[in-house]
Amino acid sequence: MLSSIFEPESIAVIGASNNETKWGGRILKNILSGFKGQVFPVNPKEKEVQGRTSYSSVLDIPYEVTMAVIAVPVQLVLNAVEECGKKGVKGLIVVSAGFSETGNAGLELEQKLLSIVKKYGMRMIGPNTLGIVNEPVNLNATVIGRLPRPGTISFITQSGTLGLAIAEWTIDMGLGLCKVISTGNKADIDDVDLIEYLDKDPSTGVIAMYAEGIKRGRNFLEAARRTKKPIIAIKTGRSKRGAKAVFSHTGSIAGSDEVYSAAFRQAGILRVDTIDEVFDAALAFSCQPLPRGNNVAILSNGGGASIVATDECERHGINIVDLAEETKEKIKKVIPEFASASNPVDTAGTSSYTAYSEIIKALLLDKNVDALIAIYVHTLMSDAIPPAEAVVEIKRKCPKPVIACWMGGKGIEEGVDILKNGCLPNYSVPERAVKALAALIRHREFLETVKTRAAEESE
Amino acid sequence: MTKILTEHEAKKLLAKYGIPVTEERIAGSSDEAFDIAMELGMPVAMKISSPEIPHKSDVGGVVLNVKEDEIKTTYSEILSRVKKAVPGASIEGILVQQMAPAGHETIVGLKKDAQFGHALMFGLGGIFVEVYRDVSFRVVPINKSDALSMISEIKGYPILKGIRGKMPADIDAIARVLVSVSDMAEKENIIELDINPLIVNESGAIAVDARAMVEGV
Repeated sequence: MLSSIFEPESIAVIGASNNETKWGGRILKNILSGFKGQVFPVNPKEKEVQGRTSYSSVLDIPYEVTMAVIAVPVQLVLNAVEECGKKGVKGLIVVSAGFSETGNAGLELEQKLLSIVKKYGMRMIGPNTLGIVNEPVNLNATVIGRLPRPGTISFITQSGTLGLAIAEWTIDMGLGLCKVISTGNKADIDDVDLIEYLDKDPSTGVIAMYAEGIKRGRNFLEAARRTKKPIIAIKTGRSKRGAKAVFSHTGSIAGSDEVYSAAFRQAGILRVDTIDEVFDAALAFSCQPLPRGNNVAILSNGGGASIVATDECERHGINIVDLAEETKEKIKKVIPEFASASNPVDTAGTSSYTAYSEIIKALLLDKNVDALIAIYVHTLMSDAIPPAEAVVEIKRKCPKPVIACWMGGKGIEEGVDILKNGCLPNYSVPERAVKALAALIRHREFLETVKTRAAEESE
Repeated sequence: MTKILTEHEAKKLLAKYGIPVTEERIAGSSDEAFDIAMELGMPVAMKISSPEIPHKSDVGGVVLNVKEDEIKTTYSEILSRVKKAVPGASIEGILVQQMAPAGHETIVGLKKDAQFGHALMFGLGGIFVEVYRDVSFRVVPINKSDALSMISEIKGYPILKGIRGKMPADIDAIARVLVSVSDMAEKENIIELDINPLIVNESGAIAVDARAMVEGV
């Protein structure tokens, strides 16, 4: 049923406008700019909106309407939704605000809205949503100016404005998105529905979430536990402490945040602290396989960066593995005598194509190594392109995950483009690269515990 | 309606789920207290028993290591202190209890969470929980391997494993308690529960004090 919203055959925009600074104008323009199905503006005051025939009611549209976007003032919403029900519309995106987010009167109105939606067997995102994007069908029913780059990351956001700002930002970061879903007040469709839907959605590979609160907690955990797709979440409200000690110690310590953390972890949801981390991890998941274990090799042309990476690995329980003798022999052949052929491998300045290529090949062939962090530190004497070409070239033939960290300013841009086009996740500093790798490792460990548990239970 | 259980009631509940608890009985007079103490073996712990006084020490309602010749006077001293501190509180009597064995103080707790159901907590007791908040959480139900990972997660785990030649604590016994508490959470409609302390040594774990708030029937 959610497919009627994400992959509609036709869309009515109720509250459509010629004025693009209005919601109903901007969203209509965005839908028209990419969506291939039929689109019907609804506005009783206009004959034509953005070059299309405007209808005074959804009931006047002489064609079938799968989905309606509702962007009218709050007092007109119930009537519009009732008409959508009568028309046989299956899915709704209610952008209009003024419901439960405003207080008790609004909550009452939202309950009325929900009962109309249910009466006609429709499904609804919102109210108070900023819409959805579904890139595979070129549907942009939001106010974001552009469609994101195609990709496998689907992003569920409870905050509309923050979510849309982030969606814009991911476009510039070159992250590929599949869906952006602003959940709004979650009166009908909530996180549980969305996780279940995205689990089955073939174009979604990774689920990223910005959540302020979760409805139907238990069901949410079950849905999250069932999906094999990684879920990375930032859950805000960490600072709220639990109720002061009224009765028990446990009660005073177990604030909602502690319980969220435990629950998320048990369900395999990767809870991170910052917005950067959500997308850093999502990027790694979207283009790298999971490592078999937590044994990592680090390559760098400078000692400092590899020490920072090593420290961060330690913090996340990632093992800087001892390399096989054979691997070290191969590495010694292409680095200066005084450089380090042990892990972390430090080429002492060398970053030629041949050196990086030979070392990466040796490291990835080493049975002890599960994943590689390839670092390049820019200097005036070096060129960011050859090592980038080397890592992309070798990675193409290898099933182990490789994370890149090209450090430097303007001088590395072309190298970074090569990495991006080669589907290598690249990060500006070693800590970010390590955290992204740690997310891959944690997810693999979670999938393994699910497997062992299933085996235990079937015994 | 919520209901607060006395220590004695809370421990009966724990015992029903197979959790070892201290031997104890409620005395209604100083003579009865003496008889119970003789039966349990001295010294004993003596604690006020009242559903209205969950924080017994705060009102002078707890005396530990009471010897044979002190039992009767302790009985009346506790009563007079409590009556002064909480006038009019309904008092069931004085709980006369076996002294706790030596061992590590740990805490096991439950809290009903609005979003996710019951959350189970484990940690080392005393300052470890109060100052360092060195605890781990799980949403119930949990199984034994969850319990074991919950125990090993706390920073103070090496203390339980035995540092500087000390005997390791019976980790499996703690895990059994955690699983039992997980089992009772929903069945007993628990809102909050503390087993504090659960004393653990090399030969087992025992609930020495407990408090519980349940959904009333």
